[in-house]
Formats: sequence, structure tokens, C-alpha cells
Amino acid sequence: MAKILAFIKKNPGFAVCFLLALLVLGVAVFAPLLATHDPYEAVLADAVQAPGAEHWFGTDRMGRDLYSRVIYGARASLTAAFALVCIVMAVGTLLGILSGYFGGILDVVIMRLSDMMVSFPGMVLAIAVAGIMGANLRNAVVAIAVVSWTKYARLARSLVLKIRNRDYIAAARVTGSKTSHILWKYLLPNVLPMIVITGATDIGSMMLEIAGLSFLGFGAQAPAAEWGLMLNEGRAYLTAAPWLMIFPGLAIFITVMIFNLLGDSLRDVLDPGNF
Amino acid sequence: MKYLKQTAAAALAAVLAVSMAGCGGSGGNRSASVSESGVHLNFSCYNYSNSMDPVTNVNASWCFLRYGVGECLFRFDENAVVQNGLCDSYETEDYTTWVLHIRDGVKFSNGNDLTPGVVKNSLERLYASEADGTGNSTPSQYVTFSEIEADDEAGTVTLVCSSRTVNLPGILAYPWYGIVDTSVIDREVIGTGPYGVSSVQENTTVNLVKNEYYWDGEVPYDSITVYLTEDSSTKAMALKSGDVDLAENITTASDLEELKADPAYYVSETAGVRLGNSYFNFNGVLGNDALRQAIQYAIDDETMCNVTVGGMYTAGCSVLPSSLPYGYDQLNDPWAYDPDKAAELLDSAGIVDTDGDGYRELDGEKIQLNYLAYSSRNLDEFAQAVAITLESLGIGCKVTVQDYDTALANQSAGNFDMITSNAIVVPTGDPTGFLGNFYSENSAAYGYYANDTYDALYEQLLETTDQDEQLGLIVQLQQVLIDDAATLVHGYYNSTFASRASVVSGADIMPFDYYWITTNIRPAQ
Repeated sequence: MAKILAFIKKNPGFAVCFLLALLVLGVAVFAPLLATHDPYEAVLADAVQAPGAEHWFGTDRMGRDLYSRVIYGARASLTAAFALVCIVMAVGTLLGILSGYFGGILDVVIMRLSDMMVSFPGMVLAIAVAGIMGANLRNAVVAIAVVSWTKYARLARSLVLKIRNRDYIAAARVTGSKTSHILWKYLLPNVLPMIVITGATDIGSMMLEIAGLSFLGFGAQAPAAEWGLMLNEGRAYLTAAPWLMIFPGLAIFITVMIFNLLGDSLRDVLDPGNF
Repeated sequence: MKYLKQTAAAALAAVLAVSMAGCGGSGGNRSASVSESGVHLNFSCYNYSNSMDPVTNVNASWCFLRYGVGECLFRFDENAVVQNGLCDSYETEDYTTWVLHIRDGVKFSNGNDLTPGVVKNSLERLYASEADGTGNSTPSQYVTFSEIEADDEAGTVTLVCSSRTVNLPGILAYPWYGIVDTSVIDREVIGTGPYGVSSVQENTTVNLVKNEYYWDGEVPYDSITVYLTEDSSTKAMALKSGDVDLAENITTASDLEELKADPAYYVSETAGVRLGNSYFNFNGVLGNDALRQAIQYAIDDETMCNVTVGGMYTAGCSVLPSSLPYGYDQLNDPWAYDPDKAAELLDSAGIVDTDGDGYRELDGEKIQLNYLAYSSRNLDEFAQAVAITLESLGIGCKVTVQDYDTALANQSAGNFDMITSNAIVVPTGDPTGFLGNFYSENSAAYGYYANDTYDALYEQLLETTDQDEQLGLIVQLQQVLIDDAATLVHGYYNSTFASRASVVSGADIMPFDYYWITTNIRPAQ
């Protein structure tokens, strides 16, 4: 406990952001307890009601309680964002380490593939991929993953290139360590902190990209409670019923801000400059 | 040094702010009605087609008329009554041979004369394009001619129909039959309308210029820019900012309400001739009578029309709008909204949830309806409201919003359980063609509906020329469709035009929305 308190005292910024992030996660996990209505229950006659005692955030155009939908929206948005970051971190890091360690033709193939991916505007390519695969949240995650892994691959590759000729790697080879052992025990631990920091700072932007795809109709589909989709549904009522956009927009803004700050403070904590 | 940096930062920020302000529009002053090049109109509308050649497809032919580029031999007036157009008189004795006199002195917008020979060529080209597949328009759907003769000296075109065709003027008013200058059609689409096309940027703008040779009165604008705008809210905002002077069919209820409440704008609304409905696929689970009837009971059309789509539609139970003189008052709707009856009906038919997953099963299979929709004219909102209602009744329903062409292809292939539709039900001035959509012998019948009684009545309708008998049959046909729960009628679309009152006058929407840009739309004084 004393250690934790000391850590908090040393890193107050990180502690606050971490608590806020836990709070957001708590909203997602305990959504059924926090919601006042079934987010999918529609009373068509009660459509587009202003915020009030019965409906704290008002109702949407199908007469559903907006507060409950925003709360449940945290589930879809956070799940998709975490899944996406995990996928791109895993795939990118794996390909980057292999590329950097083995070099040669494998390096050329992976890096040229990466060059091809970055030569397209990311969002446009994601829209194309999501459009081809069909519009739903899972495909939106895959689409963004397809265009986002390159960043992690390049990062991992550059870190591996930096250390692969170090003496301790050479010593491991000389002493008969298997390649898989070297990759797992020596390279991955050296690469991981930077990758994790990058991943943490990316959660916010990934969430925005998913919301963006849903807003454009390529992600979550009605009647799903997803923030980007809710923004799109409220767009037509921007002037007449602004709460339809304000509350989902605020939810995105707050969540993205918290995870961005968390990523920054995590970088300060881990201080990768020392690696 | 410190102050130097701060000063430099402040200067940079100021430069950025000024340059960004320069990017902003000047809003209300942008839409100058009178410029050096003359009187100009900015019009915003949905883009239905980049082509304006009537043979290309239905939408292209509609654009030919809607943009004021072309005209037909006949046209519908503001009371939906067919009037003479490029034909100023006609004769027929047997409703098979029709002699049409082509109006004298009419010229195309390129200065070429409209002659009976050109009319003949234009009609023959239309049918030839259908026959050889170079066009997707299907004029033979309404009428075929065994002979078309032109007499330039007498100024007449003689049309010999393949069968008795009582409503030929109404049919020839349909946009497919728009007359083009065939001498230049390989290069450009030229018609006799008040405006000619000067340039087209696909999916962006269509630029029109005054037809100096127009035959039917003064053409009020020297030029018109048609902005092709997909999104309804964008159209409303463009109107409010002054970027456009006139916009068609703003379908977002909240935007329309704002415009109606503001005296700076004039909103013209007309009880339309468009039906908004969803077709059932009778080859799937919806072939089950009890299921369809329960859906009819469960759907609250009044609330959907008045609240969900904010009054953009008028609720009704029949496929023919209540505003048209086809005996709507004589119809009986046995499936008026009653959600309790819907549940009872399903329970009594054995369509119940046996495995406790919240969804009812039919023949041991969980019901999961594939509901296709497209976003035109609030149809996706109807679909979502219907799906939500059905889910609450224990009927699984997944809405897929597709673009119009994809949805239509899936409809043709039968890949749907329900599909939304919005169509003019009296395209040629009478509903016979539309009612044919439910005739089982029609290869293009929607949803594989089949009813012997309906077929027999429809065949009688095709034969009879007596107007009272026609009306009686049309009423009976509607009632059969209602009794069979043949289609889910949402309501009747109210078409709108919204204009800036200080800039434009006469911007009234016609019941037949074949006509958007007309000479009635002119600068406000």
C-alpha cells in the first residue's frame, strides 16, 4: 500500500488519468446498473423529446432513451477500440520483429507491404475495405487494423535493428539459444515498452476512427447503441434537437481525452528515453 | 529574444486566423440573383442520374424533364390532369390509331425545328434502344406501336398502337417519351424545354442556360446552376446560408419545420402521388398469412408518419393515396393498429417463442426478417421504426440500408423478406400500371404475390373503357390487397419545394414531380 501511495505521489497525473480511465471502463461494465431504460426500447410517439426528468439526455428519433444509449455506447466503443489496438499491436509487433531480426527477403516483403499501406490515405482505405467487406462494427475494426498495423511494424523493426547486433544477442546465439527463445526472451521485452506506450496513446485516436467509420455508415449499424452511429442519427436534427449530437459527442470527447492523457502520462511513467 | 519569440508567435497566429477567416463563406451574399452574365438561379436537388437521355433509364428521363431541358408531347398540370404539350391537338376514333398534330413554331434549344419527322425519330430511337439493349428505359411497358408515321407537310404524327390504348396522352406525358433532337443526340441531349445544358460535372453540378427559342412564354433566368446534393440537411443549410435559392424535397422534418416557421422562406407542399410502402416476399416466411396480418396490426402508421418522419407522409392503408379519386373512403381496413391483436394472432397461429430466446419461431425456425431499405425519402427511418416494433413483438428483423441500385437488384433477385419502396402510383395519370405490380402474370411483380381474384379483376380493368366500371374495379383491387395484407403501406409522401422568398417566386411543387424547373419559377420582384 505504501508503495502504491508513493507511486501515486510520484506520478499524480498518471494516477488521475488511470482512475478516470477505470471510471470509463466501469461505466461500460456496469451499464445495466447505470442505465435508466432499455437502450433498445422504442416508444415511437415519444421521439425527439428534450432532456428532462424522465429522460435525462432526451430521446432519439425512435423514442429511445438517449442517456441509456450513451451509457451502453461505452461498451461498443471501448470494446472495439481495445480490440483494434490489441490486433494492430500484436500483428504489427510480430511482423516488425520478424522483419528486423531476419532481414533479407522477409524484411523487403513486409516493409514494401507496409509502404503500400501507408501510401493510401488511411481513412479512405478503411472505408474501401469496410465497404467491400460489408458494413458492421467487426468489419470496421478489421478495416482500420488493415491500415494501422504498419506503424507498429515499423516501430518494432527499428527497435529490433537497434539491438539485434548487440553483444548479448550475439552471446545468446553463440551459446546455442534457439531463434524463438531469442525473439521471446531478448527482443520482445526490449520492444514492448515503446509498443505499449504507443498503443496506449493510440486508444483515443482508434476510438475516433471507429466512431468516424460508424458515422459514415461503414461501422455499427442501426439499432446499435454506438456513439459514432448516434452522432450520424442525430445529424439531421442538429439545429432542432442538438442534444442528439451533443451527448454522444461529449461521450466521445471525454473518453478520447482521458485515454490520450493516460497514454501521455504512461509515457512519462515508463520514460522510454532510458531504453 | 524572449519578446521576439512571443511577437513572432502572435504574428503567426494572427496570420493563420486571418487566412482561415478568408476560407469562410460570406453566406447570404453569395447567391447573387443578378450578375454580369444575367439573372441566375442556384437550385439544389438530389442526384438521380448523371444522364439526361430518356433512353438511358427512368431516372435519366426524369432528369430530362425535371431540369427543364426537355418536354413531352403531353404534360400533367398542377391538378394532375393531362394537357397538350408539344402536341397541340389530336384525334382518334378507335383508341388504336392516334393522329397527333405537332405544335407549329417549336424549336429545340439549339435552334433546330421540332418537326413530325424528328418526333417520329425520337420515339423510334426510344423503342430501338429498348430492343437492342443500349438503353434501360422500357417504354413498351405502357404502350407499343405497330406503326409510327410522320407527315411534315400536315404537321402530324400518326401512332398506331398494338392494342386499344385509351390513355395514350397520359402515357406520352411520361418522361420516357420526352422528345430529343435526334440529329445531334450522338453528341448531346437537346430538348425543347426552357433551358439547355451548357455543362455537367458528374455528381456535382449541372449548368443550364436559357433556351432563346423557347415556345411557351418568357424564360425568366439566363442561367441556372443545379447543385447535386445527396444529403437533405446539406440542402437545408445551403438554402439558409444563401448558397442556393431553391431546394427540392428537404426530407428532414426538423429542417423543414424551421423553414416553414421562418417567413424568409417559402415552402410549397403538395399531397403527393407517391406511395411509401414495404413489399413482402411471399416466397419466404412472409408467405404466412398470420405473420403478415400480425405485422399489419403491429405497425402504428399514424405515429410513424406524424412523429418518426415528422409529417413528411400522410398515413393510409391502401396502395393508392387518399388524395386521389380512387374510392379511398369506400375501403375497409381490417388491420388497423392494435398491438394486442397482433400478439394474439401470432399466438393463436402457433407462432410463439418455444426456446425462450425472445424470438418467435415459425415451423421450428426462428423468424429473422431480412429487411432491405434505401435512404431516399425517409424510407430507412420507416424501416428502422418497423424493425424496432417487430422486435418488440418477438419477430427478429434486421434492417440493411443499401444504395438504391443494390436494393433494386436484391429485390429483383428475391433476396429479401421486406423491402421499402417509394413510387408514383399514377405514372401515366392512371393507376393501372402500378396495380399491375401485384398481377401474378407480370414478370416484374413485386414479392411474388399471387391471388386469382386479383388477377381476374385486373384483367377486367385492362379490358374496360368505361370510367365508372374502371373506378369500381380499382376500388375492388385495392380492397383485395388490403384484405390479403399484400404490402405494408406506410403512407403517402408529401413533396416539397423550399425557396428563399426574397429571391424566388412561383416555386410551387407539382403533384407529379416530373417537373421541377419550369418557367413558373422566376426572380422575386
